[in-house]
Amino acid sequence: MHDTQQLNHARVQELVERQLPDGGWPFRADTAQTAVEPTALALLALPSNSNRERDAAIRFLLRTQNANGSWPAFSGDDGRGSGLTGLALYALNRCCAQGMMTNRAVQWLIESRGWESHWLWKWKFRTSDRHVRFDPDKFGWPWIPETVSWVVPTAYSLIALQRARGISQQDLAQLRIRRGVEMLYDRICPEGGWNAGNGVIYGFPLAPHSDVTALALLSLLTEPPNDFITTSLDWLERRAETCFAPWSLAWTILALDAFGRPTELLSDRLASVVDPTEINDCATLAVVWLALRLPAGETAFRVAHET
Amino acid sequence: MKLDRRTFLTASLGLAAGASTTALLNSPKYRVTRRQPRSQVAILRAESYSHNLESILHFGLELFHLDLRGKTVLLKPNLVDYIPGNHINTHPLLVAAAVECFRRLGAKKVLVGEGPGYQRDTELVLLESGFAGELHQLKVPFVDLNRHELVMTPLLASYTGMNFLWLPRTVLEADFVVSMPKVKTHHWSGVTLSMKNMFGAVPGAKYGWPKNILHWKGIQESILDVCATVPVHFVIADAIVAMEGNGPLHGQPRPLNRIVLADDPVAADATCARLMGLDPTRITHIRIGAQFLGNVSNERIDQVAEAVYAPANPFEVVPEFEHLRVAGSAQRDS
Repeated sequence: MHDTQQLNHARVQELVERQLPDGGWPFRADTAQTAVEPTALALLALPSNSNRERDAAIRFLLRTQNANGSWPAFSGDDGRGSGLTGLALYALNRCCAQGMMTNRAVQWLIESRGWESHWLWKWKFRTSDRHVRFDPDKFGWPWIPETVSWVVPTAYSLIALQRARGISQQDLAQLRIRRGVEMLYDRICPEGGWNAGNGVIYGFPLAPHSDVTALALLSLLTEPPNDFITTSLDWLERRAETCFAPWSLAWTILALDAFGRPTELLSDRLASVVDPTEINDCATLAVVWLALRLPAGETAFRVAHET
Repeated sequence: MKLDRRTFLTASLGLAAGASTTALLNSPKYRVTRRQPRSQVAILRAESYSHNLESILHFGLELFHLDLRGKTVLLKPNLVDYIPGNHINTHPLLVAAAVECFRRLGAKKVLVGEGPGYQRDTELVLLESGFAGELHQLKVPFVDLNRHELVMTPLLASYTGMNFLWLPRTVLEADFVVSMPKVKTHHWSGVTLSMKNMFGAVPGAKYGWPKNILHWKGIQESILDVCATVPVHFVIADAIVAMEGNGPLHGQPRPLNRIVLADDPVAADATCARLMGLDPTRITHIRIGAQFLGNVSNERIDQVAEAVYAPANPFEVVPEFEHLRVAGSAQRDS
């Protein structure tokens, strides 16, 4: 049996070994196509003494930024921007990689918005297309341009904007944050929590998802306590009782911990179900590692809340 | 978001041109023809999900005389989410039976791949729906199509106006793609069968969860473009317990006690629609697909097992698709 220290070492090693020569990580360990989400999550997860790997990851992210300030989803993607821009920006800011390039990313986030904010589509959603219950005045960020807002890109964008330092257009950023938060509250599932972004379709309440709920909650950390947050935390705790999937469980732990709810039992379960060498998905490996490092006081999503 | 005159005019014209959209859809926009002179479909009786499915499926596959020796077979089930008690996904026992059958038929490699459109945690869906256990037991690799290596692929039809899609290399390199849909009604597309099932080959890592661009470009149009570009070589449709009403997630279970096999996705979907009591020629992607992807007419489809029949009560659908339903007697035409 390994002790905890050995296991932690194995997890870091596994993550480090999967870094590609260009400094990024692919989603799947058996492929060589670098993607922004696993890279940004790995950058957040790497311990501070992994200087060489962190520097390479930072250089990769800075190199792959689009001309308009956004990030693509993966190497080779078009330059229009993806819903992962917020995550890339947040990861860079956490590593103190700030400057002109991150400022351009902030600017892009301020200007980017879900297509439902367009007055024409707003009119359409208010008149002829009303099967999904939502208020188009409350918009967040889309996965790709010219589509509507969804919860994950909105949560990533909120986390990035709330924690970005030295924003020149503070008023605009605050306004954009407000709209995004309102969108999350608007799209919440009736029982609490969030799924991709549809709470009710054809009058039927849809079920929330653990990972999306956790991310949404992390993006609401700076909000005053309210029923939306409490109900969603309660749902997340209940759902966690029967959750054994590493990605969902790890995000659940990160969110519950950030809101001061107990996570020891969940962490024990996560550690017991996870063999790092068997997790093929690099994004999952990074989030698992983030969750399991919490007892050591390393909290990628909590620190900014406390500052 | 700025709205200039050009955008306004374009959008207004777009909204005002509903009727002409239908005409535009009907005009040929494909650069490939996959329709065969005749198609084969086998409707097989299967009372329940059990380990007996392998022998039923093996019997059915023998009717098609497939030569799979040395080929890589990709099974593409419909895995959307897991909601206890809801018959949302292709049943894992049917997929397991297909794995065994294709191995027996000499396939070099059998893979199972899917990219759920709504749930980001594919592993959670696999674990909770019972897939993980079955796949582990069979030692069959599962490929998360949402997060696999992507290749920029020119589209072989242009109903959406998109020029290309990023698609998973695994799908493009498979020799034999088997679409394994769960037979369901769908609140946006009318039905979700073997053709709509191929949305799962469009990767979330690029297009997000859900793959919203396919909705904005038109669901029917996107189905046609995707199916023109990713050939479906064979269909095994799970109609043992189908879904009616507010599908694909919250409809009601509707037992049909059938598996539908076909060497043509359009013929498969047309047959499934008839089994649902729906008129396939009123379903846009099936009707247009019949121009170049397969056969919809009963005269071009050889039913090599049971005859097609219509239920006395057509499947319930959401109000927008009420026009798809036909009286049972009108469909007893095979």
